[in-house]
Amino acid sequence: MGEKVYVLGAGSTKYGKLNESVIEIALNASKDAIDSAGITPKDVKAGYISNVFGVADKQVHMAPVIMSNLGIPEVPGLTIESACGSGSVMFREAFANVSAGFYDCVLALGVEKVTHTSTVESTTLFSYCSDFFYEGGNGASFPGLFGSMARAYLAAYKATEEDLARVAVKNHENGLLNPKAHVRKKITVEDVLKSPVVASPLKLYDCCPFSDGASAVILCNEEFAKKSGNPYIEIVGSGRGASPASVQSRKDITTIPSTVDASRQAYKMANLSPKDIDFVEVHDCFTIAELIDIEDLGFFPKGTAAQAVREGRTMLNSDISVNPSGGLKSKGHPIGATGVGQVVEVFEQFTNKAGDRTVKDAEIAMTHNFGATGASAAVHIFKKIK
Amino acid sequence: MSKLKSTKQSTRELFIEHAKKGDILLNQCIKCSNIMLETVYYCDKCFSNSFRQVPYIGKGRVVTYTIQSVVPEGFEDVNSYAWVIFKLDDCDMNVSGFLPGISTPADLPLGSKIKVVDFHDKHGLILQKY
Repeated sequence: MGEKVYVLGAGSTKYGKLNESVIEIALNASKDAIDSAGITPKDVKAGYISNVFGVADKQVHMAPVIMSNLGIPEVPGLTIESACGSGSVMFREAFANVSAGFYDCVLALGVEKVTHTSTVESTTLFSYCSDFFYEGGNGASFPGLFGSMARAYLAAYKATEEDLARVAVKNHENGLLNPKAHVRKKITVEDVLKSPVVASPLKLYDCCPFSDGASAVILCNEEFAKKSGNPYIEIVGSGRGASPASVQSRKDITTIPSTVDASRQAYKMANLSPKDIDFVEVHDCFTIAELIDIEDLGFFPKGTAAQAVREGRTMLNSDISVNPSGGLKSKGHPIGATGVGQVVEVFEQFTNKAGDRTVKDAEIAMTHNFGATGASAAVHIFKKIK
Repeated sequence: MSKLKSTKQSTRELFIEHAKKGDILLNQCIKCSNIMLETVYYCDKCFSNSFRQVPYIGKGRVVTYTIQSVVPEGFEDVNSYAWVIFKLDDCDMNVSGFLPGISTPADLPLGSKIKVVDFHDKHGLILQKY
């Protein structure tokens, strides 16, 4: 392994319906991250940008535009797309380049703007992230793909739609404590069950919202971090995984192989196990995803996540705090930004900026983010520097 | 300069042609006999790219499904439908498709018998209960 890598600064816009252009959103988050790190743009040696639907706001080839507007047009930028997992996959590339010694300090920025499109347009755009010939082209939206996974999971493990609803209720509770969350609203199990069906068995409150937003972090090597005099956190584990692109091609529809593989790599690199993780930000694009995630990441045995949620073991400051930020479900899901937003949450938790949603005595945290139905995934483990 | 038109059918065109006849066209690896969807280019077991095309009868049983209430573009004209993953009767292979006329889970218990009946440009692989 190469050099140790640290997160030195972090910034994020509010997630939700934003009026600014995709570039302005990106620049606002970048400026916050640069200010948070106590550096200037001239310290940034490369920019890594994650974005999926730039075309929806008439801007692709985004990286050079962002670097130019940060006053550093000569600094190389790269735009990376891996559907909903773009942020974490991009973060991994930024991490790898600092670890390899190519750069001592880089900007990792995720951004998305989609709320100006109609629900049909957004649903259609998202469906292009599926294996379209077999999935989107046959009428499956993303709620539909996860709906089919949910039906298989509920049948296999005797879980219920109420169990799915409890995930939403818990994440909305956490999101109420996050001033930057998209949907800050307390809901009940009954609210979820009575909400309109989107793609059975998933209902409106089982689904994360379409969000605009940007999140950015500054990554650097040890020498740069120590010289800065600012607080920083260490990236101690990193893993990437892949699954068959289409759900139909998976031997078991109730697990996501990319998550399992990426987490194993990250645990191995960090020399840690699931019991060492104090809190985790997981990819809960739909409530069923969180149940599958927390099993695939090793926190609960296969088929028992619903029971764990029922017993309150994933609530804030319980056995393992799952999605203290509110997760995609409440905090929001600005596709290209989501994976970076999870890192921002860890940075805020470990630098005493998480307010009422602080996970008490936390020292080790994990982020987990995947693309599409889990065709691509990345997992990272972070350590608080005391 | 005029464009040359290829006369060779693409893998997807072949898949569609067979689906229109109610079959699912699969690839069997000549080297290791592994069976995969016709649209793959390499065997995921031995990485050979030599295949024998094998049409299977497009009949099977429902593994899982969803009923789409909020539909993507192009499907607004359908009243209610399910997107279904079903396992072929004759081999250990899952396939997915579009099943019109399903409005509640009671219409489609898991394990229901399904067959391929067509392929439409607009709605993809068309399925029917039988």
